[in-house]
Amino acid sequence: MKSLKDKYCIVGVGETEYSRQSGRSTRAMAVEAIRNAMADAGLGRDGVDGMMSYQSGDSTPSNWVSPDLGLRLNFFMDVVGGGSSTEALVGLAMGAIEAGMCQTVALFRSMNGYSDFRIGGTGARSAQPVRGLDLAQVPFGMRSAGQSFAPTFMRHMYDHGTTSEQVAHVRAAHSRHASQNPKALLKDRVTVQAVLASRWIVKPLHLLDCCLETDNATCFIVTSAERARDLKQKPVFVLGVAGRVSKPRTDFHWAHGPISRVAGYHAKDIVFGQAGVTPEDIDITGSYDAFTFTTMLQLEEYGFCKKGEGGQYVSSGIIELGGRRPNNTSGGHLCEGYTHGMSMVIENVRQLRGRVDDYCPGWAEGRHTYDYSPGKCRQVKNARVTMNLGWSMPPTGSALILRN
Amino acid sequence: MPTVEYRGMNLVIPENDSEWREHFKLARSHRLMLRGCNACGLLRYPPSHGCPWCVSLDWEWKEVSGRGTIHSYEIVVHAIQPGFKEWAPYPVVLVELDEQRGTPTEHEALRIIANLVTADFKPEAEQNVAIGKRVRVVFQDLTPDFALPQFTLSDEPPVGRVWSLPG
Repeated sequence: MKSLKDKYCIVGVGETEYSRQSGRSTRAMAVEAIRNAMADAGLGRDGVDGMMSYQSGDSTPSNWVSPDLGLRLNFFMDVVGGGSSTEALVGLAMGAIEAGMCQTVALFRSMNGYSDFRIGGTGARSAQPVRGLDLAQVPFGMRSAGQSFAPTFMRHMYDHGTTSEQVAHVRAAHSRHASQNPKALLKDRVTVQAVLASRWIVKPLHLLDCCLETDNATCFIVTSAERARDLKQKPVFVLGVAGRVSKPRTDFHWAHGPISRVAGYHAKDIVFGQAGVTPEDIDITGSYDAFTFTTMLQLEEYGFCKKGEGGQYVSSGIIELGGRRPNNTSGGHLCEGYTHGMSMVIENVRQLRGRVDDYCPGWAEGRHTYDYSPGKCRQVKNARVTMNLGWSMPPTGSALILRN
Repeated sequence: MPTVEYRGMNLVIPENDSEWREHFKLARSHRLMLRGCNACGLLRYPPSHGCPWCVSLDWEWKEVSGRGTIHSYEIVVHAIQPGFKEWAPYPVVLVELDEQRGTPTEHEALRIIANLVTADFKPEAEQNVAIGKRVRVVFQDLTPDFALPQFTLSDEPPVGRVWSLPG
């Protein structure tokens, strides 16, 4: 098969403020995030001719956003989806460019995930009629993401002896990272004990095992390596991508066990195979943290540790800044803000540029102190290769490997 | 459009529904019926059209015993749906039925999501919920044409290791 390794790049990243009260439409936020990403890339209105987004009836489509940026598009597509769409759309954007349909694609997600269409499932979402496959779960009071995933987490504890205390380290680590991130909604560091002492939501999830709900828009721009040469930023190259790889029986994944296995089991050979690297070569991971457990499950399934040892891995210090392979250096969905995966790719792009927007006075010029105490630096020294592990549900996920 | 009201939810089952209508109607006659493939003989859940293993479209409803083992569970403490607020904390269980366990491959089984309820359809107490415990189906009648299959603890000895979330 033809390899696209090193042929496509991410050349611009941008976002709005992360808040719980944006006070404006998803259209307004999308325009700002895309504009920021275009400015970051040094692209004007003639520089972007493709646009993609994902949503679940809670956002504004590309063709309503692009005119506000003066763009005439040769290609656009808005897909239904949440987590795991990010990485998949990188592959689709590459395909659209490879097919000659367009040259440069802005990929965005915009949502009022707190003030309007709450991601946690309360409000409007909980009142939606129940039909189709939802009838297999929702009538039993199993509707939100946490409720839908909890038996997977519980079975992992049964199968592998994983403990609440082990996965609480994910929250503690990400909160430490968020304390170095001016953009983060929650900048306070929390302890493992604080996670365990927080109230129960759906056992085995405490409140602090769960991510935030956030109003925001995020964007990054994909183009060919050829075209990237003339742009403002040092390009970040796509080594490999896997999109919405799934276990069997996505209609009812419980039917095909082990249920403590997640999609990375099937995705890892695709993405590592394309990239020609192994987990040992990855300097930073961005493992989707809708919940502490989702980070742990994916790191384990993609081979950063042995199957069943995810609990030990995430509680060993490896995933913290200063550790061997930090995860979600921005604070992720647990602490920075919830973006359906986009912010974790944006963070890894900034890491690979050596220009993470932390509290170091010279960050914009790439001058970092590498002092990981609160309110200081979050740049990883000499980061060369990063990986994003995108989570949709236990049986479906995506992955993306980038290099500088 | 025909709907069933339950705990503030509208369960919508259109006239042209090809999956659930008969399933819930059969449950109303207090039988747990699953679709069975007429080509390879394997049962499946939820109701679907093609056999996941041999892809035959030829199937018929087959009755199962409704006995099984808790494969995993959760305890919803903070209910999301308004109609469940007064019901919380409540258990949601993933039940592995006795029929077709480990078939056609080691990790496959007929599994069903439901609540673990007491005889009067209240949520079972958390301290009684554990992986490995034995359960049997009970039917919660909602309309003359519709019942929800639920599960209740049986008096059979547990299967394998019994485990529940510590603390």
